[in-house]
Amino acid sequence: MMENRTIESAAQGWVECRVGDFHLETHWEVLPGEVLVLFGPSGAGKSTTLRAVAGLLRPVKGHVEMGGKVVYDSEGGVWVPTHQRRIGYLTQQYHLFPHLKVSANIAFGLPDRGSPTGRERVSELTSLFQLDGLGERYPWELSGGQQQRVALARALASEPTMLLLDEPFASLDAELRRVLRRELRAMLAQSPVPVMLVTHDREEALALGDSVQVINEGRTLVTGDPLEVLGQPAQGRVARLVGVENLFELTVQERNPRDGTMTCVGPNLQLEVPLDSHIEISPESEDGREPVTVGIRASDIILAKEDLAGSSARNRLPGRVVSVESRSSGYAVTLDCGQHFRCHITGAALEEMGIETGQHLWAVFKASSCFLVNREPEPGSTPGI
Amino acid sequence: MAVMNPVTQIRNNPAGILGSGGAVLFVLFIGIPVIALLIRAAQQSNFLDAVTGDTALTALRLSLFTSVISMAVVVLLGTPFAYLLARSDRLWVRVVDSLVELPLVLPPVVAGVAMLMAFGRNGLIGSGLESIGLHISFTTTAVVFAQIFVASPFFVRSAKLGFQSVAKDYEDVAQTLGVSPLRTFFRITLPLAAPAMFTGLGVAWARALSEFGATMMFAGNLTGETQTMPLAIMSAMETSLDGALALSVMLLAGSVLLLALLGLLTHPRWQGR
Repeated sequence: MMENRTIESAAQGWVECRVGDFHLETHWEVLPGEVLVLFGPSGAGKSTTLRAVAGLLRPVKGHVEMGGKVVYDSEGGVWVPTHQRRIGYLTQQYHLFPHLKVSANIAFGLPDRGSPTGRERVSELTSLFQLDGLGERYPWELSGGQQQRVALARALASEPTMLLLDEPFASLDAELRRVLRRELRAMLAQSPVPVMLVTHDREEALALGDSVQVINEGRTLVTGDPLEVLGQPAQGRVARLVGVENLFELTVQERNPRDGTMTCVGPNLQLEVPLDSHIEISPESEDGREPVTVGIRASDIILAKEDLAGSSARNRLPGRVVSVESRSSGYAVTLDCGQHFRCHITGAALEEMGIETGQHLWAVFKASSCFLVNREPEPGSTPGI
Repeated sequence: MAVMNPVTQIRNNPAGILGSGGAVLFVLFIGIPVIALLIRAAQQSNFLDAVTGDTALTALRLSLFTSVISMAVVVLLGTPFAYLLARSDRLWVRVVDSLVELPLVLPPVVAGVAMLMAFGRNGLIGSGLESIGLHISFTTTAVVFAQIFVASPFFVRSAKLGFQSVAKDYEDVAQTLGVSPLRTFFRITLPLAAPAMFTGLGVAWARALSEFGATMMFAGNLTGETQTMPLAIMSAMETSLDGALALSVMLLAGSVLLLALLGLLTHPRWQGR
C-alpha cells in the first residue's frame, strides 16, 4: 500500500534563479499532505519555481529539502540530479509518452515494472484512478480527463516524496475540473506528501490550497491562508493580481470603536467599513481625514429592488444599472451608486428580478464584506534564509 | 452552404487545377522511363542469365556489403551528432549545423577528387597512413568512405528534425520519474524520433546504393573490390546493353524494396490516424 511507504517529511527551501533576463527569488515550506498554491499571472515565475525544485533548472544559489533530504545546497555544493529526487511532476499538457500504452506509461518509473509486484502496483493504480480497461490504449485514444488521471497515476507510481503540479487542470472544461479537483483532494488525503500547485485560477487556489503564495515578477508578494489572501487581500498589488472587482479611494470621516467600524467617504460615496488593524493609523490624523483604499468582492454584494431598511447590512446604496454582462457563470451587473459597483449574480436572479439597464436598484453589503487594502505596496518579501 | 462534389472542388480551386496537372506530368515523366526500362529488360531473352551472371552477383554483393557498413557508421555516429544539433544552441554547433548540408550541394565527382586529395597515396592524411601500411584509396574502404560522404547528410538532417520534434518536456517528465538522462534517451527520445530516423535512413541508403561519381574518382572500378552496381552498369553498357539492363532492373528493385520496408517503420501504430 502506498501510504505505508510514503516518507512523510516537509518540503522547504529557497532559490535564486536567472533565466535570461528573468530573475526569480522565492522560498517555500509545505507540510506533508498540504497544498501550497503558487498564484500569479503568467510569467510571474511560478513554473520556474517548480522546475528549480525538481532540479530541471539549476539555480544561482539556494537550498532545497524534500523527503528529509537536502537535494540542493549552493554553499555545501550539494546537487542531487532530477532522477534521484523522487518527485511527482505533472505538466499542463500531461506529456504522456505517446509511444507507450496507458499501463506502460504508469509503470514507466517503476524499477520492477516487469515483475509481478510491479504489475500489481500498476493494476492497483489503474483501479484507484478509475482507468480499468484502458491499460491497453494509447494516450491519443483517451479523453482529456482520462489523460490527466493517467499522468497523476504515473507520477504517484514511484511514491514521490513531493508532488509538483503545474496548472494540472488548465486544459480541461469547468465541469471536469471540479470533479478532478475533488478526486485530487481525496487522493492527497490517502498519500500525504507535500504538494506545490501552480495556478492562475482563483477558484482553483481556493478549492485546493491549504495556503497560497502570490508571486509576481519573480518575487513573493504574500503567503497565507487562501481565503484571507485571495478573499480580502491586504496589499494593493495583491488585490489587483487576484482581481478584486471593486476598489475605492476614500478618506476616513469618523471612527466608531463601539461598533468596530469606521465611516469612509469619497466623491458621492459613503461606506461603513471594519475598523481594521490592517491599516496603520497615524496619530496626527485624528482629525479623521486618513486616506484609505477599500475593496469589496463583486460576489459579496446583494442587489435588491427596495431599500432593505430593516436589515443588519450597514451599507445600503441606491443606484442605477449601467450595464449587464454575462460571465462564464452568471452575470456581472454594474451599478452607479455615485461610483460604479460591480456585482456578480446568478442567471436565475437576473431573470427573476428582470434586471435591465437603467433600472433603479439597491446595492446591499455588510461592513465586514469591505476590506482595507494597503495603499503602498510592501516591498517583496526577502527569501527565507 | 452548398455541398460540392470533389470534382467541382478541384475545378474551383486554382491550386487544384495546377496541382493535378503537375501531378499527371510528373508521374508520366518519372514513370515512362521506368516502364521503358522494365519493358526493354523483359524483352531480353537472356535476362535471367544476365541477372544471375558472375558480374552482376559480384557487384550486387559488394553494393550490399559496403552500403550496410556505411549505413551502420552513419547511424552510430550520426545519431548522437543529430541529437546535439537538435538540442544545443551553442555557436559552434550552429556553425557545424550549416556545414552538414555541404555534401548535398557538392557534386559527387568533386567530393571524390577532394577525398583523393585527403586520403590518396600522396594525400594530406593518406601519405601518413600509407607509411603505417594503411591503404584507403582504390580499396573497398574507399567505397564505404564515398558512400558515407554523400549519404550521411540525408540521415543526419532527418534525425535532427526527428529529435527536434520530441518536446524537451517528455525528457523532463521521464527524469522526474526516476529515469536517468541516458536511459531517458533510449526509452523516450529515440523511440519518438525513430520514424524520422527511418525516413532519413531510407533516403540515405538509396543514395549510398546509387553512389557513382565519388566512388569512380576515389575508389576506381575494380571488379569484386570497388565495382558496385552503378559502376557495373556503366561498364556493362560498353560491352552489352543486356547486362546493363539486367543490372539496372536489379538496382531499381532493390531500392524500391528498401524504401517500402523502411516506409512501414515510419508509421508506427502509436501515432494514431
